[in-house]
Amino acid sequence: MKREHRLIDKIKQGIQDTFYIWIEELKHVFRDSGVMIFFFLVPLAYPVLYALIYNPEVVREAKLVVVDQSDTYLSREFIRRVNATADVEVVGVMADMEEAKRMLDEKKAYGILAFPPEFSQEMHAGRQARVSLYSDMSSLLFYKAFLLSATEVSLDLGREWTAHNHPQSTEELQRITVDPIPYEAITMFNTQSGFASFLVPAILVLVIQQTLILGICMLGGTAREKSRFRSLVPLNRHYEGTLRIVLGKALTYIVLYGIVCVWIFAIVPRLFGLPQVGHPWTVLLFLLPYLLACIFLSMTLSGFMVSRESPMLIFVFTSVILLFLSGVSWPKEMIPPFWQAVGYIFPSTPAVQGFVRINTAGATLSEVTHEYQVLWLQTGIYFLTACIIYRYQIIRSRVISHRLHKHVKNRTKAVSLG
Amino acid sequence: MTFKQWIEAVGDVARREVKRLLNKPLYLFCMLLAPAISVVFLLSLMQEGLPTDLPIAVVDLDNSATSRNLIRQLNAFEQTEVVMTTASFTEARTEMQKGHVYGIFHIPADFSVEATTGKQPTLSFYTNGTYLIAASLLFRDMKTMSVLAGASVGLQTGTAKGLTTEQIMGQLQPIVVDTHAIGNPWLNYSVYLNNSLLPGILQLMIFLITVYSIGTEIKFSTSREWLRTGRNSFSASLLGKLLPQTVVFTVVGMAMLAVLYGFNAFPLNSGWGPMVGAMFLLVLASQAVGVFMIGVLPTLRLGLSFASLFGMLAFSVVGFSFPVQAMYPSVQALAKLFPLRHYFLIYIDQALNGRDLIFSWSHYVWLAAFLILPVLISKNLKEALLNFKYVP
Repeated sequence: MKREHRLIDKIKQGIQDTFYIWIEELKHVFRDSGVMIFFFLVPLAYPVLYALIYNPEVVREAKLVVVDQSDTYLSREFIRRVNATADVEVVGVMADMEEAKRMLDEKKAYGILAFPPEFSQEMHAGRQARVSLYSDMSSLLFYKAFLLSATEVSLDLGREWTAHNHPQSTEELQRITVDPIPYEAITMFNTQSGFASFLVPAILVLVIQQTLILGICMLGGTAREKSRFRSLVPLNRHYEGTLRIVLGKALTYIVLYGIVCVWIFAIVPRLFGLPQVGHPWTVLLFLLPYLLACIFLSMTLSGFMVSRESPMLIFVFTSVILLFLSGVSWPKEMIPPFWQAVGYIFPSTPAVQGFVRINTAGATLSEVTHEYQVLWLQTGIYFLTACIIYRYQIIRSRVISHRLHKHVKNRTKAVSLG
Repeated sequence: MTFKQWIEAVGDVARREVKRLLNKPLYLFCMLLAPAISVVFLLSLMQEGLPTDLPIAVVDLDNSATSRNLIRQLNAFEQTEVVMTTASFTEARTEMQKGHVYGIFHIPADFSVEATTGKQPTLSFYTNGTYLIAASLLFRDMKTMSVLAGASVGLQTGTAKGLTTEQIMGQLQPIVVDTHAIGNPWLNYSVYLNNSLLPGILQLMIFLITVYSIGTEIKFSTSREWLRTGRNSFSASLLGKLLPQTVVFTVVGMAMLAVLYGFNAFPLNSGWGPMVGAMFLLVLASQAVGVFMIGVLPTLRLGLSFASLFGMLAFSVVGFSFPVQAMYPSVQALAKLFPLRHYFLIYIDQALNGRDLIFSWSHYVWLAAFLILPVLISKNLKEALLNFKYVP
């Protein structure tokens, strides 16, 4: 009977302490302008900045210079059609390659299209005519724009040329001669191959993890710095249970990041017309273990931070590495096994993969099962490590307070004796 | 103070700084370890240059010798690997959403019969635009395959009519585009990205360390002692402090160049001189920007936040993936404020294209011009060093 009573009391006390710690942690966050930067300013401003940088999505009117040594109806028609495409703009027609190269040197153009003198003759003789395309490699997107436009024009013009010169007796023969097997290319999900639609969703997910790590580690470093005994846990009777501390603090972060997530995943994509085809519930269910895993990972890491600022020096550069590990730009199949293993340490790796497929490609939870399971597994592991860290810190602060108590007692004894 | 005394003051502060650098493992991590990790990571990640054997699914509704032959040929392409054939398009699409394949090649029913009887069956191929790099590489392979499929049918019917291969190709594809990627003919992604990513990481770490090393003096109220070591000359104190860092970062920068152009033999059409000069100026310019940051925001955490945000933004705004020319005009103007942007443009002109120095001199001047920043902010920074109270 008595035992039971004690247990209920203990649970009650535990819940009260959890809420006490929650409120205390909230106060810490709002009092600390450094943490506020990472919890609010960065998540609010960064998505907008990135969306603004990449919002033009595609390269339009890439500058191309032409060297037309053929100077015939056919070459001029080719040039006219290339210029008419949305991706390429012909900025000039030069007499020789030297002049065209100078245009590239002066960045007045980023590609050269060169027609040899015999271009027209070859075509009239029924042979394949060649046209050379040179592209500056400062951006692959220029290369892609030139290549796609020039190829499209060459195929269209070629088809019309054959149809015109080789009229066939029957329609059937005509089709075989001109275009026996037509084809169509379809880009799915990110239909215009937009750069913002490709990269920004991945960045949004990464921003969550990185700001949580920076903010929570900063809170930990500050607590350590302020404490007389470099302890993460204050000498306070409310901070005596591991679970209370871990859950109370986690509650703070999850409430704050709930708001941040609405901005990042619901409002920003709408403002900038980014892809958003995932079902809201799927997104929500998927983000939950991601947030928890990030929070517990950050709480674990915060145990190792002894100063306020060291997290920024240590973690900021990892964003570049983590973005590549997520497998959105560099295909995940091509990541060496060692780095794949490293990738599994961080929640961002499965989260970016899964989120991008849900958000951009409309996958459901069953299609991201692997990633979803990994995230829950990480949540479990990092919850345990966070508990271990705090348990250690509680014991440490108890030992300190015990010593302190003894020290004071001894002193009073000495005084009374003296 | 005579010039000799000034030099001595610089030396004293530099000696003090070397001790400080050696005393904190954090410096070792940020100045040497972080750049080293990044170099090893990025270069080993993109070792292959181009992704190979990207998985695709084939939907083969024809299931004939012709279609199977087509699949075999497609599989032989370097970038493509057919990992599955599915019975329906829906199934293939689900595999794509599961992340198992990046592309789908669709062969319609009765393909082989229709192709030879002039019914023009259409081959369709789908790429997952969510993964831009994988999608564009697979697009290339699947398009080539489709063109070749058409050509092989054309060749069959043409040969039957007694035409030569030359004549047939002249009809099937009268115009051929020969493509030349100047400087990077292999379209090597490691060349394409790491030439700018690695200096970008260096720039970021220089921002952070410059801000940190000055900011901690303010935070722990050692700035007066620092200035005393510099015999109360602000210029001697600042120079003495930054000099050891300049040496370390220059060594790291040169090591990066050695790895890129020596060990990996990436294109270096300009010779070493222009790139060594650019790297050295990048180090100096980044330090100058760092001094400016802590001068404007003399609170350590705010200064560091500024450095982190600005340093990370550089990777996007410098435009080595999405070109600056395609960004909004205001973002284009912003890009000029990053030393890395000018380094990147020098790299394009010099190492990649081997152009005359005349075309890049303005960017060397830009990099050097960043050195004015510490002078501009000196009054503010001096004030902060003497009187700033750190508020935690």
